[in-house]
Amino acid sequence: MKKLFTFLRSRFVIIPLAIAIPVGAWNIYITQHADGVVYGQVLTADGLPVAGVTITMMEKNFTTNSERGKVVSATDGHFIFTNNRSHNIQLRASKQGYSESEQKVVRLYFKSQNVTLKEPLVITPNQDKP
Amino acid sequence: MSQNMQPPSVKSLLSNGAKKRTSSHALPTWLLHISLLLISFCLLLPFYWVLKTSFTGENIFIYPPSLIPQDPHPFFYIDTWYYIPFARYLFNSVVVSVLAIVANVVFNAMAAYALTKHFKGKSLVITLLLSCLMIPFQTTIVPAYLITGKIGLLNSYLGVALPTFSTIVCIFIYKASFDAIPTSLIEAARIDGLSELQVILKIMIPLSSSAVASNVILSFIWSWNNFLWPLIVIRDPLMQTLPLGLSRFLSYHENTTGALYAFCTMVLVPGIIIFLMAQKEFIRGLTSGATKG
Repeated sequence: MKKLFTFLRSRFVIIPLAIAIPVGAWNIYITQHADGVVYGQVLTADGLPVAGVTITMMEKNFTTNSERGKVVSATDGHFIFTNNRSHNIQLRASKQGYSESEQKVVRLYFKSQNVTLKEPLVITPNQDKP
Repeated sequence: MSQNMQPPSVKSLLSNGAKKRTSSHALPTWLLHISLLLISFCLLLPFYWVLKTSFTGENIFIYPPSLIPQDPHPFFYIDTWYYIPFARYLFNSVVVSVLAIVANVVFNAMAAYALTKHFKGKSLVITLLLSCLMIPFQTTIVPAYLITGKIGLLNSYLGVALPTFSTIVCIFIYKASFDAIPTSLIEAARIDGLSELQVILKIMIPLSSSAVASNVILSFIWSWNNFLWPLIVIRDPLMQTLPLGLSRFLSYHENTTGALYAFCTMVLVPGIIIFLMAQKEFIRGLTSGATKG
């Protein structure tokens, strides 16, 4: 029994445990926060929300971008994706009469991570349009 | 007068000798520490560079190079984890390494125990084993492949681990440790009714923890870093081990410095952790036979 306790206190047990516990905790955290929700807002350069903007989500691979979904922003400019399965996505907002927004790269810490964008997608009205 | 003089004690003689040696030959401690720090810096710098680049992804040819990482982030590690089946490669490497470790600890102990006995042709066996050390593995690959194919172990974990099941260096590490165990202990165990196998398992191995640790570390490192044999034996991409995965990664993707260095770090870390964990036993195991007369 004493030998067992000595072994349990040795670095051969403590170090693997010290690695396994955070890894286990991280995996539990992932399972709780991986619904694939991407929440954000589309604003004009003046800070006004824009409704009816099409937001395209693209999944980035090492070499390619492939389209994964489209949603339309609500009246307050908010949009939500619920089907993100990647950890590296790009978002782009477009609407007729507005110039397309910059392609926003969103890096996540794990696949399908729920995320609320800190910065909005910005689109500007075209000057030549009435 | 001579009767009044006390002969100097052995202890005082030893301590005087030690003092003289210290004062006349040894380097000052501060100089020693500075030298060690410089050497450590030179040795650790490449590891630091790999680690730094894995967090920044900066061009390694940039001039002037900067020691301090700028805008570090963990996303290269995340990319590596998800873009290639890293977890699968890791699992494959772990399975192969565990097989190699268990086999090395058991088979090498058996072989070393046999070499501690006296039998006809023992010196010839030892000579043969030592001369086999001089044969590079590359020359035995074709027969090893044919044998592995004949027994149907191609593209399997067992097939990858098989050539590393017993290594001559590890046998001699065990032998050095077993030689230090008194014969009377083995005889006493035999009188108590233990078989040869029980003597190995219950007497020799528990008394040779350093040799066991050395076997574990060496077999782990060799099987973990093994590249050529898995490259030949494995056909299924999902059966590949980490070194093969690294090679595949390099051939698939270009301009991915950060991800590549992250991959390298992820491959290196398990080996480093195991070595640091067991380094005391490892060094003791390697030197246990060194002072034996």
